[in-house]
Amino acid sequence: MNVKEYISTGIIESYVMGMTTEAEAREFEALQAQYPEIASARDAFERSLEERLLQDAPPPPAFLKERIRASLDAVQASADADEAAADEAPVRRLNPWKWVAAATVILLAGSLYWAVTTNNKYESLRAENARTEALQAELDQTKAALTALQQDASTLQKPGMKMASLKGTPDAPTAQVTVAWDTTSKDVYLIVNNLPQPASDQQYQLWALLGGKPVDLGVFDVRQEKLLLKMKNAQNAEAFAITLERKGGSPTPAGTMTVYGKL
Amino acid sequence: MNAKPTYEEGELVALLKQKNEQAFGYLYDNYAGALCGVVRQIVPDVEICHDVVQEVFVSIWRKIDTYDAQKGRLFTWMLNIARNASIDKVRSRNYQQALKQQPIDDNEMAHPVVRQGIDDYGLKKVLMKLKDEHRMLVDLSYYQGYTHDQIAKALNIPLGTVKTRLRAALIQLRTMLT
Repeated sequence: MNVKEYISTGIIESYVMGMTTEAEAREFEALQAQYPEIASARDAFERSLEERLLQDAPPPPAFLKERIRASLDAVQASADADEAAADEAPVRRLNPWKWVAAATVILLAGSLYWAVTTNNKYESLRAENARTEALQAELDQTKAALTALQQDASTLQKPGMKMASLKGTPDAPTAQVTVAWDTTSKDVYLIVNNLPQPASDQQYQLWALLGGKPVDLGVFDVRQEKLLLKMKNAQNAEAFAITLERKGGSPTPAGTMTVYGKL
Repeated sequence: MNAKPTYEEGELVALLKQKNEQAFGYLYDNYAGALCGVVRQIVPDVEICHDVVQEVFVSIWRKIDTYDAQKGRLFTWMLNIARNASIDKVRSRNYQQALKQQPIDDNEMAHPVVRQGIDDYGLKKVLMKLKDEHRMLVDLSYYQGYTHDQIAKALNIPLGTVKTRLRAALIQLRTMLT
């Protein structure tokens, strides 16, 4: 993996500023644990951001600190009350009003504690859900890719399937293509083993040859996501060839022949 | 008694995890201004802004155990808490209703003017130097919390373009910071 390139994509800044997707963030965390260079670039950006934000921020009003201290005391007191409620040995006698007061405090503390834990649970559930969704999407994609491959495999296994290996001509010595022809349904499939990328105004075209005459089987692009590329049907064929034509194809072969092979 | 201690970040975090009040006071004294500034740039109303800062510090106190130094610096962690709390506040029903009571303001996006006391410091000041198209995306994404998807749909530009422009804007931001 090219660490420099990864760093230069802006991922560091996005991660630090909380602007990545869940998946990007997980990937970043894994990579920075593996590559110290990424972690130190992250640290450097964080420091410069921190420095800038600390440098010229207007000071908060004086009363705010007291207000926050008071609200923290309340949070802490409810946590302490919870602990105390759990620890206390119930031997003392109290008058009824004290019971009511104590019950109220405990109830209040309990509901505060409940609110806090429910909120925490909610937040972790939310994160968990996002993770599950991402995993589901990944699984769906994998399933779809697998199904496509299985379909291609069963096509190739059909009885009556004939294969022809098309070898490169002197014009394209490294080119190689495999043609599969279903003698029952007459379907023609193509597997591109190796073909150079054509110019943007050109496209490859497949031909079936019968008695020396070419029959058009359609044009195709080199970069294919599927393994098998379905072409036009061929009623009969002795050999196959591919020529490089202008985009969209030609009625009869006019360009250079790149591969040729007998059935 | 009044001698102010200074802490290494690791030491400070350890003390905070033990709920040490002095460490928390130190945290407030050193970072409240910066966090206030960030909140204020998302929540312009001063009173509400103070409420949010209070919530942020309570969150920090409660969630300090979840802070993981492997993932980033303490300030970054707090900054993200502050940003999320501010965006949540601005989106809350109460806040939206309070806004309706006020006279309609010019759309900030259409007329990007510097609001005195809000945009003239911190990150916004740096962002003001970005190209319009970049600044608008950072504003929608960072300050208003919209997802890339939502931005792409709202502005009717491809998702890929939103991502590339935002990344470019953030890289520029880094060079402006250093």
